[in-house]
Amino acid sequence: MGMEQVWVLPAILAGVFVVVALFNRLLPHRGDFLAILGMLAVVALVALVLLDFQGAFVGGHFDPAGTNVYAFDWLTIGHDFFTIQFSTFVDSITVVMLVVVSFVALMVMLYSVGYMHGEPRYGWYFALLAFFTAAMLTLVISGNLIQLYLAWEGVGLASYLLIGFYWERRTAAEAAKKAFITTRIGDVGLLIGIILLWRATGSFDIQTIIAAARSGAIDETYLTVAMLLLFAGAAGKSAQFPLHVWLPDAMEGPTPVSALIHAATMVVAGVYLVARFSPVFAEVLVARDVVLYVGLLTAVMAATMALVENDIKRVLAYSTVSQLGFMFVALGAGAVTAAMFHLFTHAFFKSLLFLGSGSVIHATEHQTVEQLGGLRRKMPITTLTFVVGGLALAGVPIFAGFWSKDEILVAVNEGAALPVYAILALTAGLTALYTTRLILLTFFGEPKNQHAFEHAHESPPPMLGPLVILAALATVAGFVALDGVGRALGFAGGIGEILYLSSPHHFEFNAMLALASTVVAVGAIGIGWAYWSGTAERATRARLWAPELHQLLVRRYYMDDLYQALINRVILGLAGVVAWFDKRVVNETGVDGGAQLLGFFGYRLKFLQTGKIPNYALAMAVGLTAIVLVAFGRQ
Amino acid sequence: MFDRLPLPSQFDRIIVQGGIAATLFGVPVLVVLLALLIGNRIEAPELVFWLDATVVLLGALGAVFLRNLVHAALALIATLIGVAGIFLLLANEFLALVQILVYGGGVVILLIFGLMLTNAQDDPVVTDGSQKPFAFGIAAILGGLFVAAVIDANWGAQTLSVVPFRDFGARLFRDFLVPVILVAVLLDIALTGAFVNARRSSDEDAMVPTGQDAEARS
Amino acid sequence: MIPIENFLLLAAVLFAIGFYGVLARRSAILILISVELMLAGAAINFVTFATYLDPVGFSGAVFALFVITVAAAEVGLALGIVLRIFRERQTVNVDEVDSLKW
Repeated sequence: MGMEQVWVLPAILAGVFVVVALFNRLLPHRGDFLAILGMLAVVALVALVLLDFQGAFVGGHFDPAGTNVYAFDWLTIGHDFFTIQFSTFVDSITVVMLVVVSFVALMVMLYSVGYMHGEPRYGWYFALLAFFTAAMLTLVISGNLIQLYLAWEGVGLASYLLIGFYWERRTAAEAAKKAFITTRIGDVGLLIGIILLWRATGSFDIQTIIAAARSGAIDETYLTVAMLLLFAGAAGKSAQFPLHVWLPDAMEGPTPVSALIHAATMVVAGVYLVARFSPVFAEVLVARDVVLYVGLLTAVMAATMALVENDIKRVLAYSTVSQLGFMFVALGAGAVTAAMFHLFTHAFFKSLLFLGSGSVIHATEHQTVEQLGGLRRKMPITTLTFVVGGLALAGVPIFAGFWSKDEILVAVNEGAALPVYAILALTAGLTALYTTRLILLTFFGEPKNQHAFEHAHESPPPMLGPLVILAALATVAGFVALDGVGRALGFAGGIGEILYLSSPHHFEFNAMLALASTVVAVGAIGIGWAYWSGTAERATRARLWAPELHQLLVRRYYMDDLYQALINRVILGLAGVVAWFDKRVVNETGVDGGAQLLGFFGYRLKFLQTGKIPNYALAMAVGLTAIVLVAFGRQ
Repeated sequence: MFDRLPLPSQFDRIIVQGGIAATLFGVPVLVVLLALLIGNRIEAPELVFWLDATVVLLGALGAVFLRNLVHAALALIATLIGVAGIFLLLANEFLALVQILVYGGGVVILLIFGLMLTNAQDDPVVTDGSQKPFAFGIAAILGGLFVAAVIDANWGAQTLSVVPFRDFGARLFRDFLVPVILVAVLLDIALTGAFVNARRSSDEDAMVPTGQDAEARS
Repeated sequence: MIPIENFLLLAAVLFAIGFYGVLARRSAILILISVELMLAGAAINFVTFATYLDPVGFSGAVFALFVITVAAAEVGLALGIVLRIFRERQTVNVDEVDSLKW
């Protein structure tokens, strides 16, 4: 099992999906063990791929351009006009994604065994998880854009089905629809971008396109437009402004799904896409700047909204949006590695936080901080792991998030204007602030709902196991960036060397900046502690302190209202015009009018049918004579 | 049955009128033809042909223009007999014989029976359809086309050859055996169909004569 | 010898007269009579060609025989139909038999 055979990974899970989806009622435990065994196999195979990758790297025969394996021609039109090939492509970015996706998926599946126990559609749930993971793995190993797009829609479908998993609940169905349609807006851009790139290069192969773009064969404006359209797709999938509105609503799905799809894997597909095309983005700086500023705006907006949100999962969702914004800022600053590193660590600590919140919800059946509080006394392990995740998110030193966030700040400091750095650093402080608020209001202080508190209990081992493992990783995952650790793992020059292959940067550790961010993070935690700890009524102080600002944030900058108004006024108005056109012009004039015209002529012409035989005979005679005349005239 | 036939009251008149018409048309034609014969402009067979053609055409015109149904049927007889004469002129005695047997003996009787069994006795005079002018125009154009085609064509060397009975029979029952059988089947089906169609109902077999008559003919 | 045109012209005129009768007459039986005229014209044509142009095979004469036979069958069948119509509608006027109109 090496880099050439990565197609096996999604194939296993696709098979699992089919078997579990069709036969889960016949299988013991609804087939969950099949999904987990398949996932274990995938993780083992990913480890082999990783070893192969490391071996190739150490052995010096690693191709920095990646391993491109042509599979087969799927569709050919014309001689060489249009060919869609299936191929797999593995390079360092792919390997990172493979590790993240397979590992988090395994953790989530193990966790789900406890969390989803007793659900009526338990088997279908695991089938969908397998389907999602298969699509996600296909996405990251795709060698060409059409294949990538198929997988891209596949994960979108899985996301839709899993957000709407509790479809009996109207909000869940609405949220699923919203997520699907919002990401679809971006996907249209992505598809147009793919077509534009194909027009310019005649190929769907990603590496061919990148090479063509770098050689300057494509007009710069054209390339900028194409890249911006690709970024539109990425922004839709990764919930960037202005398409971020679906992700908080997506929390209607089961919590493990939020951890897997809406924190660790699917939402980073956009980051992956932009990272994959980073050599091209380096050519078109306008597009790269758009990525930077959209990411920055998203990071700030989402962080501020997270400050006032009371639903645990929604806080985490805003946090995810914000952190994705960080990754895009890094990409916009040209630091692919920083983005991928943050993606890597974020996957662990954010899925940890989601699974922790799932544990809380499982125990108390409440998910707003107004009903929670003081849970540390009932759920010590959950609390501990959640705090670890929170520290990682807040960027406290030695935890994973610290290293990666710091990398981003370093990259921004070098690659972008100073205000960008300042705002981003401030946003990092906001991150620490809302994380502190969340943890304090959930696990510390006094219980606000005594009944829920008494009902609470520590979660069962299948749920705690993944929490502990992920907490450990959230603590140490950042160390891989250190050169020494990397060398100890067998990579000469550290892992950073590998990740930086496509980019001239090296992992850097700027002590001054690190100190600054540490101060910001710890300071923010201190402020939060001082502000929110203690009694219950302190939780709502912000609302009284600045009501207008609070209202603005609670209403999510009125983005949802704006979209709703847009839909009500503009889209429904347009739909009315179209409906009128369809009704009056197409239907009544075109279809009915044609029928009436025919009916009119039919009514008039029917009197030709007199029923009198001599009339028919005369008509035949006229025809016969005409034929004879023609035949005679032609001689 | 014969008292229902409109003949007795009209028979004399039609004979007289027909005789006068035949005389009026026939005598001048005969005179002209005899003159041409004597003047050696035509041969004797041609004279016979023209006389016969006169009969045929007069009969045909009578069949389509006479307003009395029975008169029209009688005019048809003249035409059919004349056609038998044409067959004789064409040196085919067998067909002339068949023509007289089948038409004169069968078809015309059948037609007159049809006339009698319908309302011919109540209303023997019929008016023609309103599309008569169109019919005349079309028939004239078509006939003109045929005439023009005949005159226009070059018929090449012509030999008039007698068709002997023996050869005709051999040809008919050796080379055309399958068509003959098919025609026999066709006749059978047609007679059955006519019988079924004309039968009044299951308890009355009044229309049987139609079938028997046709059967006797073949 | 009588020229071939004579017979052909006679046949053509006979056919045209019958054609006129079929189109112009209203009584079903008179239409049948007119059809007989057309068939006679066709038969004359067949025999003429057989006698003048095909002295060995004289297929035309055989066909004329078939024409006569089929004409007999046709008359028999058609008269059956006419009688049926007459019984149903008390008329053989084809203008009045128009149940198949609009």
